[in-house]
Amino acid sequence: MKKVIDVAKYEYFKHVGKRRFWIALLGVPVGFLLIMALSILFSFLSFNQDPVGYVDQADLITQPQQIPEKTGFLKLFIPLTPYDDEASARADVENGSLQGYLVIPAGYQSTYQVTYYANSQPSSDVQNQINELLRDNLMLNQELPYLERIRAGSQISLESLDGSETSDGTGWHRIFVPILIGILYFILVMSGGGYLLQSLVEEKQNRTMEIMITSVSPNQLMGGKTIGNLGVGLTQILIWVLILALGGLIFRQRLTFLGDLNLSPGYLALGLTLLVLAFVAAAGLLAIIGATMSSMEEAQSVNALIILPAMLPFYFFQAFFTNPNGLIPRILSYFPLSAPLSLSLRMAFTQVATWEIVLVFVVLIASILLVFWLSGKAYRRGLLEYNKRLKLRDLFAKEVSHG
Amino acid sequence: MDTIVVSHIAKSFGETQAVKDVSFSVRPGEIFGLLGPNGSGKTTSLRVILDIYQPDKGSISILGGPMTAEKLNHIGYLPEERGLYQDVEVARNLTYLATLKNMSREQIDEKLPIWLERLDLTEHQKKKTKELSKGMQQKAQLIAALIHDPEIIIIDEPFAALDPVNTQLVKDLLIELRNQNRTIIMSTHQMNQVEQLCDRLVLIDHGTVLLEGALKEVQERFATNQVFIQTDSELPENLPGVQGIERDGLNYRLTPSDGLSPREVLQQLIDQRIGLNSFEIATPSLDEIFIKVVKEGRNNHEESN
Repeated sequence: MKKVIDVAKYEYFKHVGKRRFWIALLGVPVGFLLIMALSILFSFLSFNQDPVGYVDQADLITQPQQIPEKTGFLKLFIPLTPYDDEASARADVENGSLQGYLVIPAGYQSTYQVTYYANSQPSSDVQNQINELLRDNLMLNQELPYLERIRAGSQISLESLDGSETSDGTGWHRIFVPILIGILYFILVMSGGGYLLQSLVEEKQNRTMEIMITSVSPNQLMGGKTIGNLGVGLTQILIWVLILALGGLIFRQRLTFLGDLNLSPGYLALGLTLLVLAFVAAAGLLAIIGATMSSMEEAQSVNALIILPAMLPFYFFQAFFTNPNGLIPRILSYFPLSAPLSLSLRMAFTQVATWEIVLVFVVLIASILLVFWLSGKAYRRGLLEYNKRLKLRDLFAKEVSHG
Repeated sequence: MDTIVVSHIAKSFGETQAVKDVSFSVRPGEIFGLLGPNGSGKTTSLRVILDIYQPDKGSISILGGPMTAEKLNHIGYLPEERGLYQDVEVARNLTYLATLKNMSREQIDEKLPIWLERLDLTEHQKKKTKELSKGMQQKAQLIAALIHDPEIIIIDEPFAALDPVNTQLVKDLLIELRNQNRTIIMSTHQMNQVEQLCDRLVLIDHGTVLLEGALKEVQERFATNQVFIQTDSELPENLPGVQGIERDGLNYRLTPSDGLSPREVLQQLIDQRIGLNSFEIATPSLDEIFIKVVKEGRNNHEESN
């Protein structure tokens, strides 16, 4: 076990200890923030805050525009100013003190038509503020109660006939865990798996392999490499989660919808355990690929094959949504690479029997043992064939020639 | 007790039989030469000894029994295909490889500077491996094979990339290790190094043993009884007890008559009052023996096929 830990530590710090790892790691959120900041700045600079005038020929507006106490970071306020006649409003548009003006004609309450005059298309904010002004005043005149309720819209609760499934109608949080698992798997395989593959091909190219297998067994080596590179992937995820959490803390008042996210710890733990096991299975497959390839370029082209099957449940989303216990969702649950996403998606939409969950774990663990056994063979066979590309069937054939 | 006993091992790869029947044993405190032409089965034999390959037939005994994970920690290996992490600093490379031989951090901190100093790599320890010359990389690799103070040292072509100064450095090191009772197997094509270093040797070709024994014994076995002399005097055309004389300036190669020993030839020269600058019993070089044995072996191999 000591050697497994030694290999894992080396693999982990080989990447995490390098400046370029941190540049790449922090580059993603920094780049993302930069793009966001630039787009906000661009929107802010192009946002027209000039007032909009309105001429109320229908005597509709008895309650003028409500001026908010504070407008917030990205919600800018556009004042709506009443005018007695069109001519003075038009004059102010022409001299640039108004961006446009609205005419509410005398027959408005029969036609509900208004006309907006301007030299440029009104922004959505202008349209929203005009709509709000008209709606509030229309409802006041009709003496409609529950103004706030109407502004907030309706909320429909859904329930299945047998009562086993309920939803508040929004439902977005139900697929939060599967989506999270899909994203995490992608990051883990792309970073941790990519590093693992790189390390294996490098050892083959550097001829380090022969030294390694006279010090550690192939399985110790694979175990250490998998743990180390899984750690690299998890570190990456942890740092990004911390940055997201920091962002969430700063903008917590705008993220109140996250309060709906009532995640079951058991469900989340099950999904994450499956995720780690699927990564281990993927690592074993990557080891076999690494052993059979003779250059990094070759290996990278095959790396995508590990990602694609894992994402299959997204392609068959409709099947999961309509019949989560159907044939396709079931098959994908038992396939090691797509198991985490498939099972968590099914569990999001239906009850999955305990025996089936146990079976998914059994199949996954058996697959890990199989790929690790095969990767051990691949080490002894493929990694000493320095300059050759090994075919997968060679792993099962008799050993190849050496001098 | 022999440290390594190789008994009738055979190893095939598909249709190719790399090793047919190889047996030899290696004792503590000796440098053992594993010789053979390219593709003779040397590397495969070494890999079988190191448990990289399982033999199809035969057995290997290391330190009194089969190979175990623990025993691997007592073996130092310098493979023919050198391998260190190219993008990693030399010291870090060596620290990692030493860790995998079960050395503690304290042991590494104590021994690594000594080894780096010994092999003139101290000032290069912070460089990436790829920044070193081939010879320096080889010396770094040698440290990886020796830092954990192994009982058994297996080195494949240890002088391949070294200049004469570093060759001498490594030779001195190997002699020192032999004097410390280490068991050393050296595989090389450089017969002059074998002559200078090896106590015993085995010569293999086509996966079978062609020759085995102590270096001196082998050389004596192939000795032709000829003598080399150097003299300022003119030699008579017919020298009693000598059936052939070949001249090269002041140097002569004398072939004694049948049944006469070099000692008796010397006596004849003294009796003839020939002043000698030097007198040397001609022993064949290992190069000559190598070529002769391999050629004979190949002829036999072709005849048997």
